[in-house]
Amino acid sequence: MATRLQFENSCEVGVFSKLTNAYCLVAIGGSENFYSAFESELADVIPVVKTSISGTRIIGRLCAGNKNGLLVPHNTTDQELQHLRNSLPDQVVVQRIDEKLSALGNCIACNDHVALTHTDLDKETEEIIADVLGVEVFRQTIAGNILVGSYCALSNRGGLVHPHTSIEDLDELSTLLQVPLVAGTINRGSEVIAAGMTVNDWTAFCGSDTTATELSVIESVFKLREAQPTAIVNEMRNSLIDSYV
Amino acid sequence: MPRKPTGHSSRLLPVRPLTFSPFARSVARVATAYMVKHHARDAMQHSAGDEFKKLKKVERQSESSEDEEFDGVVQADFAFFDPKPDDFHGLKTLLQSYLDNKEWDLSGFVNLILEQTTVGTVVKLEDDEENGVFSIITALNLERYKDHKCITELKEFLLSICLEKDKIGNLRSLLGDKAHDVGLLVSQRVVNLPPELLPHLYDALFDEIAWATEDEPTEELRNSFWFKFYIVVSKIYKHKNASQKRSSSTDEGDAFIYVKPEEEILHKLSMWSFLFPLQTQQVAAHELKNYQLNGIVMAVKAEDISSFRQQLHTLINES
Repeated sequence: MATRLQFENSCEVGVFSKLTNAYCLVAIGGSENFYSAFESELADVIPVVKTSISGTRIIGRLCAGNKNGLLVPHNTTDQELQHLRNSLPDQVVVQRIDEKLSALGNCIACNDHVALTHTDLDKETEEIIADVLGVEVFRQTIAGNILVGSYCALSNRGGLVHPHTSIEDLDELSTLLQVPLVAGTINRGSEVIAAGMTVNDWTAFCGSDTTATELSVIESVFKLREAQPTAIVNEMRNSLIDSYV
Repeated sequence: MPRKPTGHSSRLLPVRPLTFSPFARSVARVATAYMVKHHARDAMQHSAGDEFKKLKKVERQSESSEDEEFDGVVQADFAFFDPKPDDFHGLKTLLQSYLDNKEWDLSGFVNLILEQTTVGTVVKLEDDEENGVFSIITALNLERYKDHKCITELKEFLLSICLEKDKIGNLRSLLGDKAHDVGLLVSQRVVNLPPELLPHLYDALFDEIAWATEDEPTEELRNSFWFKFYIVVSKIYKHKNASQKRSSSTDEGDAFIYVKPEEEILHKLSMWSFLFPLQTQQVAAHELKNYQLNGIVMAVKAEDISSFRQQLHTLINES
């Protein structure tokens, strides 16, 4: 199910939050409404962690992660890093990387299996991404934009990309990512998809300016209508728990 | 009855400094210096559809940059348009801090402004593909829109931040029983918008209000534009020592510095006004280090508007 919400009068929900299948990060300082919207959807299923990165609130754009790990930029403080390591589940590896393109959320779009990255990312960073996040990495552009993390929202079940992406590009990306993709907008015509929304396999959060049409496109491409969190978590539980004593 | 579109100006020189968003690109284009070219042609120009109101602008000394380099001089043609649904994002950005940092139905407020196409003007660049909004001016009747969530929240906000006991009674009456005579004057712009546009912008607004009182289809709507009062919500800089006894030396500076020049005139003409503290952090420029940014709410009588318009013309033409 997709929820509409705002962070302090801004509809750019994907800037102030980061949602994956194993955890959710939210920025400090928004009103309690923002935090409680996430809590009410996710509380029993995955941890919702309030944090800042490098003292800022734009955490969604600075970090990139999936259920296996979280990558944070070099300017993340030690306290923030420690807080993240303490609050996130143990199987999530939190790694601080030295990359001059420090807005990792803008440079990397990933789900649990595959990642698209900025074409100018360091080779080392690419290896770390493959290692920590456990994904296959592809350097790509979306509709001619190198900031793939900004113009694409990705989950294991679907993806939403920049509205001006051509059909050929859509097909190519869809083959790479192995998920259905659709070109669309968020927040009443905004092209910066990942800034306006954040999504995982069973739920999505969009800015409150998102129209009903946009919301229905999101619910259909990410297959949110039938999705139940328990199904996903049970799958994970089976792979995590060896035996019951 | 038909509005006359007047003088038309020349094309835009495409100069592109490095910025990251369409809006910033538009603003950066006009950034440091600008010229507004004026052709004193009053012949009726063809306007593509009656959505345009073009404007005579003053001819000025101009250096046009022929080459591609950004040498600090940008030529820009501003045009006045009726509000259109496409302007939603630009307007929302301009009005982001209208009620300080209160969380309210800003999108609903912007939608209200966009729906009122008869009164209200948006300033944009002519032939701008990116549709950047530089300024908005409009007047909203508080009674007509009283059922909208944004207006209710706005009224609550104003009543809650009014700390001056003597003004709150006036405010309550303007927002309550006198609401059908009150127009909320909303005027927001980018910081570096050329002041030459201001007299024309306000003239356009008050002329539209006058026309609306005759042209609107129903009597109720016509009456809704017979404003007797205007409320203005804005921000000004107040000298930090203004409350202390002021010595005769004038090196202290003015008590108030107005972000928008026309507000000095409005403040003088206002029936009453009050200041309120802002919660958002302000970064003070060096010249303004003795000043504190406050919000201000003013109420102006409609009969004082013609004097305001005259004074605005004088103020801008002198400077």
